[in-house]
Amino acid sequence: MAGRGKDAAIVALAVLLAASWAYFLTRPTAQAPELLTDPDVLIIGMDISDAVSLDPARAYELTSCLVVNQLYDKLVDFEPPDYSEPVPEVAESWEVLDDGVTWIFHIRKGIMFTDGTPLTAEAVAFSLKRVLKLQQAPSWVLTQFGITEDSIEVVDNYTVKIRLGRKVAPRIFLSCLAFTVGAIVNPNEVKAHEKEGDLASEWMTDHSAGSGPFILEKWERESEIVLVANENYWKGKPRLKKIIIRHVPEPTDQLLLLEKGDIDIAWSLTPDQIEEVRDKVGIKVVSVPAYEKVYLGMNVGFKPFSDERVREAIRWAIDYDAILRLLKGGAMKLQTFIEKGIPGYNPDAPYYRDVEKARKLLAEAGYPEGFEVELMAPPTFPYRDIAAIVKQNLEEVGIRVRIRLVTAAEMYEKYRKQGHQLILARWGADYPDPDALAKPFADYRVKQLAWRNMWYDDYAADLVEKAAVEMDWSKRLKMYHELTEYVLHKGPYVILYQVVRQVALRTWVENFYPDPSFFLLDLSRVYKERVYGYGGA
Amino acid sequence: MDLRAYVLRRLALTTLVLFGVLVVTFLLSHVIPADPIGAILGPQAPPELVEKLRREWGLDKPLHEQFIDYVCRAVRGDLGRSIRTNRPVLQDLLEFFPATLELATASLMLGVLVGVPLGTISALRRGSWIDHAARVFVTLGVSTPVFWLGLIMLMIFYYRLGWLPGPGRLDPYMTPPPRVTGLILLDSLLAGRLDAFYSALRHLAMPAAVLGWYAAAGIARITRSSVLEVMRREHVRTARAKGLLERIVVLRHILRNALMPIVTVIGTTYGGLLEGAVLTETIFAWPGLGRYSTGAFLYLDFMAVMGTTLFIAVIYSLVNLAVDLIYAYLDPRVRYG
Repeated sequence: MAGRGKDAAIVALAVLLAASWAYFLTRPTAQAPELLTDPDVLIIGMDISDAVSLDPARAYELTSCLVVNQLYDKLVDFEPPDYSEPVPEVAESWEVLDDGVTWIFHIRKGIMFTDGTPLTAEAVAFSLKRVLKLQQAPSWVLTQFGITEDSIEVVDNYTVKIRLGRKVAPRIFLSCLAFTVGAIVNPNEVKAHEKEGDLASEWMTDHSAGSGPFILEKWERESEIVLVANENYWKGKPRLKKIIIRHVPEPTDQLLLLEKGDIDIAWSLTPDQIEEVRDKVGIKVVSVPAYEKVYLGMNVGFKPFSDERVREAIRWAIDYDAILRLLKGGAMKLQTFIEKGIPGYNPDAPYYRDVEKARKLLAEAGYPEGFEVELMAPPTFPYRDIAAIVKQNLEEVGIRVRIRLVTAAEMYEKYRKQGHQLILARWGADYPDPDALAKPFADYRVKQLAWRNMWYDDYAADLVEKAAVEMDWSKRLKMYHELTEYVLHKGPYVILYQVVRQVALRTWVENFYPDPSFFLLDLSRVYKERVYGYGGA
Repeated sequence: MDLRAYVLRRLALTTLVLFGVLVVTFLLSHVIPADPIGAILGPQAPPELVEKLRREWGLDKPLHEQFIDYVCRAVRGDLGRSIRTNRPVLQDLLEFFPATLELATASLMLGVLVGVPLGTISALRRGSWIDHAARVFVTLGVSTPVFWLGLIMLMIFYYRLGWLPGPGRLDPYMTPPPRVTGLILLDSLLAGRLDAFYSALRHLAMPAAVLGWYAAAGIARITRSSVLEVMRREHVRTARAKGLLERIVVLRHILRNALMPIVTVIGTTYGGLLEGAVLTETIFAWPGLGRYSTGAFLYLDFMAVMGTTLFIAVIYSLVNLAVDLIYAYLDPRVRYG
């Protein structure tokens, strides 16, 4: 047995040596470098499960609006990297008559839909009327102006007249037209695919009928959305031939795929992951302050919060810096309700954690021993962690907090019925104008946040309405400054931070500007460098 | 009663079970104070829009009316429309179920191929290092969080070694085969696309291994205890005393008689896998029923919740029926009627 075992060992060793020789002998001594990535295809990894429909008249979720903005053009748009002012797109110019009520849009000549049909005033009117007829989720962005089908008129082939139901500051209406609901659709395609009077809404759920830089090739739910370049795009053919938006819901997966080079852009890495990849070779991080913030809502109907001093005390009790540290680069200080990047932004941030001041205010208000309150918050990161910080901070001033982590369905049910006491929530601007934030935060009459928090303040509501019809821009900005200061100190909110959108991408991706909203991302000018290497990224 | 009559009787009883499931699910979903329309539209949707859509979806009607409407449509095969996806629920289920079926079947095959032999050998070599190793395998399999295991496997086999591809069902640059069944492996073969077959198989390997380990652990555990129990019986001693080869004793006299509980656990494991494994599907970006149903439950998308529950109840019933029929095949003493 010993002899046989020894023989077996020798044979095994010999085989191993022979195999090693064979490997090293046959290995090519010089390898030609190869392209590490396909320069014509951009792959984005993100969670696309929120998308419901790619019909612009229905699209209202992050993924839906992101995609729709690549497929269609609008009358006006906001362009990267400076999103501050609306720029002409399908409308090459416009006039506002009758003191802010009648609008004349002059349509640019030479724009074609992807089937070769010219985009005319007829298509513009058709598209806007279609939104009014369908009355789906995003339609309020247009109907809030009192527009009806009869108030949209084709003057000639390249002129559209729209009469609003009321006077509004021009920038508000233009900002709303830049939302994806204002996308111009091809009437021929709609008529060809209409079914039972649905204005082709079912077909347009997963087909495109636009003039934008990309065409929808396919949408496999929970799998991928594929866009191909519109070779005849009027602003110039995109440099990318294809965009694949891969469904990768788990941030850790996005991180691994990005590092391997199997995706070019990782959409939703966590703050820790962003820090991890920031300095890695081959990866860069781009960021932009988003039109989004996180806040605490205090229900004024809950007795302690009916006293302004208590609300003020809570503002002095919160450790804002601790929250910013939790989110690392994913947040920036903001205490007023208009985010940085939107006109009217007020950088005033007077509050910081001052336990003594908070206690003093509570005592003055008649709560020297504090009180009990329920804090409702979503169960996911970062909300559950922020809730824990808030609880700790408030308990230090004597307010005993019961945290209730609830799903969105339950949370909004209660919030819309004014059934909460203290709530941790987020809010994003639907259009890049201060009115988009002033209305919900300060005007209880529109039954949004101010109403939900039972803050029936006529002074604030009147100021919102006045600012919305002020035609002088600098006067308008002054009003918003006054309003933001007023809400900062008297409102039922503690604005905790503004979200900073951070996107990690491969360094071979150029001209990518993250979008501060959720409907302005423009991928038409993005391109990828040709990068050569050996054996993978 | 013959087999056909037995099957028909079982199917009829299943209908009653399904009705009961519907009632309970309906009541539970409506008892929770939640607003699916508000959740799906988001916090910024104006209240009048929320009310309008609530009316359009019939959510303002009395509960009993909503339930009757639903049952009347369900018996005609109409499971309603998902509030979240705005598509017929049946269409959603048929789109997502094949991915789950593919993953569940592959996982179960791995589970059976590993679990049954491992459990058997562990029982036959009780107390040996094989038995100890098998028990470690089983303990790890049932106690390791699936989410963690999936991430670790991705880190090792995809990220570090590059042996297997990352999340997804197919290489993103590859054109998928024409959809016939929704099972990519089968559709690739039907289309003669060996490249897609190979890519799909490689993508399936890790998620199937994760769930297969969990399945194998449960199957191995029951196999071991069942084999140990049968090994003590007189007929096994007799078979050995007769001088039969050990292989024959194990396969024909021990395993054959130990199969009943093993088949039961295989059936319940398969039923559980077919429900969809939301964590595995999330880690591996697998577009299956698990994520769809979880989303439906989180948003209280009533139609999708009811439709998914009904669908899963039907699957469980069919799996249970199959298990019962296999009993009759394995054990001639089992008769129906």
